[in-house]
Amino acid sequence: MENQEEHQAEGVGRPGRPGRPGSNPEAVTARIRARFGDASVRDGNAVGCESVIAERDALLPFMTFLRDDPELTFDYLADVTAVDRLKLDEAVRFAVVYQLYSYKHNRRFSVSIPVPEADPRIQSVVSVWPGANWLEREVYDMYGIVFEGHPDLRRILMPDDFGSYPLRKDYPLHGKGERDNFVF
Amino acid sequence: MGLEDQLQENVMTTKVDAMVGWARKNSLWPMPFGTACCAIELMATLASRFDLARFGAEAIRFSPRQSDLLVVSGRVSIKMMPVLKKIYDQMPEPKWVISMGACASSGGVFNTYTLVQGVDQYIPVDVYIPGCPPRPENVIQALMKIQEKVAQAKAN
Ligand code: SF4
Repeated sequence: MENQEEHQAEGVGRPGRPGRPGSNPEAVTARIRARFGDASVRDGNAVGCESVIAERDALLPFMTFLRDDPELTFDYLADVTAVDRLKLDEAVRFAVVYQLYSYKHNRRFSVSIPVPEADPRIQSVVSVWPGANWLEREVYDMYGIVFEGHPDLRRILMPDDFGSYPLRKDYPLHGKGERDNFVF
Repeated sequence: MGLEDQLQENVMTTKVDAMVGWARKNSLWPMPFGTACCAIELMATLASRFDLARFGAEAIRFSPRQSDLLVVSGRVSIKMMPVLKKIYDQMPEPKWVISMGACASSGGVFNTYTLVQGVDQYIPVDVYIPGCPPRPENVIQALMKIQEKVAQAKAN
């Protein structure tokens, strides 16, 4: 019962079916705007769950808020991935995407952070969700985006001496000769 | 009067090569290098329905030092190829290699940056099995081809 009252708290979920998609679709974004200001995030375009586009500057306080705020409690980082929008009509080439889930409220949320090609760096969120460790390594391996503050930023799938970032859209499918000239 | 007449039916004369080849070909000890879906089909070949034991090759060894037949079944990436090479090098002579499936033989449909386009670029292959995956009958046929080859090999 106590739990249900919690779900009824200002704009989050609805009794009995907490956090189902469609039960107040703007709840998380409203909560973020109430805390960080109206201009802090833009509406995202994820399909199937609420999402925002945020800036990379104050990433750690932002993510920590998502995790610790009692009405949000995104205690599970389901995935970190990235998008290369090379041929799309986007000003900033890359975006790092965080898929969050709250066990408490049974709700999903997606955060997209644009990362420019000229300076592909972003804060690591390992200190917020330790599970980000290997996920960020994979993004680094595939896209060459550097996660600052990561405890062990090495390639995770490709060999250590692999010189390229294969999921970048300008990387050719057959590679640049790596498969014929690798070291034994 | 020949030697056979004196020894009668208790003893048979032959050549060392033929006898050793006969023994070897009927007790191949395969080392499975299963990296993908083909390995599942290899397991099916070993299990009761197809029963590779009928061909004397049921003693699967997971140590290369105890095996004489390497079965490469699955995709081999450029990160995995040094491992495969090392395993091949660790197998004692004489040794034979089956390249099972399209991926191991040619890269298969994975004509991509990370996949070795045929393991025969780096280790010698005796028999290739086409298919994706090959059926157990194909694997058995490949084993019989290896047996023919083993029977003809020199003993030393
Ligand atoms: S040949 Fe087909 S079945 Fe065999 S490893 Fe490749 S994809 Fe899998």
